[in-house]
Formats: sequence, C-alpha cells, structure tokens
Amino acid sequence: MGSVLIFGLFSFLAIASGIGIILLRNPIYVVVALLSSLIAVAGIFFVAGAELVGALQLLIYAVAIAVFYIVVISAVPWEKAKKTESHYRFEGTISLPIVLLLYAEMILVFALGVKASPEGKFRAFIEKLGNTEVVGAILFSKYFLAFEVVSLVLLIGMIGAVLIGRKESQTYEDDTP
Amino acid sequence: MKTIPLEAFLVVSMVLFGLGVIGIAARRNLITILMSLELALNAVNIALVGADYYLGSVHGQIFALFIIALAATEAAVGLGIIIAIFRLKRVESSDEIRELRG
Repeated sequence: MGSVLIFGLFSFLAIASGIGIILLRNPIYVVVALLSSLIAVAGIFFVAGAELVGALQLLIYAVAIAVFYIVVISAVPWEKAKKTESHYRFEGTISLPIVLLLYAEMILVFALGVKASPEGKFRAFIEKLGNTEVVGAILFSKYFLAFEVVSLVLLIGMIGAVLIGRKESQTYEDDTP
Repeated sequence: MKTIPLEAFLVVSMVLFGLGVIGIAARRNLITILMSLELALNAVNIALVGADYYLGSVHGQIFALFIIALAATEAAVGLGIIIAIFRLKRVESSDEIRELRG
C-alpha cells in the first residue's frame, strides 16, 4: 500500500513537471521543471525495484544532462527569445487533439482488457542476487555486442559534437557579420 | 510483491509521452524542443521498467540503460548543433531557420 502511495506521489510530480516543461516561458524555468521531472522518474524507477537504472538516471540525466543544458543556456544570449513568443499557438492547438486521441486509444485498450502474460522467470534470481548483479550478468553476456555498439556510438557522438561545436571559420561559410 | 498494477506504469508513461509530443510540436525555442524530447525518452523508460516490474525480468532495464546512454549522445550532438546554428545565424527560434544552404 505504501509503495502505491509513493508511486502516485512521484507520478503526480512527474506529470506536473511535464506540464511545466511544455507551458513555462523562460528556458531556465523549463530546465528546472525538466530536472524535477527527471528526479521524479528516478523515484518511479526506485519504486519499481530498478535500483541500477534509477541510480544511473540520477547520475547521468539529473546531473550530467541537466547541467549541460544549463551551461548551454547560460552560454548563449537569449534576449531575443524572451521578447518573442515562446510557443506556436496554432500548432500546439492542432497537436492537442492528436495526443488526446492517443490517450483515448490507451483507454480503449485497457477497456478491452488486454493483459500481459506474467512470466516471473528471473524473479527468484533477482531476489537472491539483487537487481544490479542480475542486470550486469545479462548485460555482459546476452547484450554484450549491443553494449560495445553503444560505446562506439558514444565515441562517434563525442567526435561529432566536438566537430560541430568548434570555432573554426574555414569549416563553414560564415556570411553573417 | 506486485502491488502496483502494470496499467499504472503504462498510463504514466503514455501521459508523459503525450506531453513530450505536445512540447516538440508547440515549442518555439530550439533548446526547449530538445528538452521535450528528453521527456518523451523518459516516458519510454518508465514503460520498460514498469513491464520489468510486472514480468519479473531485467531485459527492459537493460534497454532503459541503452536509451539513457543514447539520450546523452543525443543531447551532446543536438546542443552542439544548436550552438553552431546560433553562432552562424544568430537565431534561436525554429521558424527562423528557413534556408538549407547557410
């Protein structure tokens, strides 16, 4: 019963922060709302028993990525963004019924009574060994190739970010004064 | 052990994903578009971890780890592109980028 209560609290916090992300005007406030939403999602992970994913969510998302966004926002002068409109009102109004249709579809699926089949094959191992150990054992045996490919993707992304973000006028045709 | 139903995870995930989609469509600032994208990725992670909690498995958590790693890459490259666009064109709104050739 207590876990349901904590889950509801974190879900409410996540959804309220999500509404803040799409409605707030100032980019700094949006970053703070994103940070709150990420921490609430990490709380949902902890309630669901995924300690490793929750800890990595806190470490990578809530620390690294959020600080990265704050650094970029403070490095770029955004005076113009505050003067102009912060939303597309027409496009937002159009996308709202599409998303509501998505929600109606979800309600329909649950009303038709679609259920996943419970398996519980790993539950005994998880209870015996602990979540992190099981995740590590499967990650480094069954998904080892995917793990290596992700490391390559991270390397390529790092090289790409350095190449795109560097200051060199020969790379781009810079017409602006 | 299973006190929270799977449907609760899926509902939270779907609501957050819808909010992210609205943010991507309705936001004008480039950085806030990227932040809405992060929200949508997080919603997918909630669905995967919730299915794991229901099934008693860990495969969804492994995919959530992959999604977190790829989201970090996406944030780095996307913010690099935004800074390059800002440095070259001095724009920060997505409707001011009209030309293909800079």
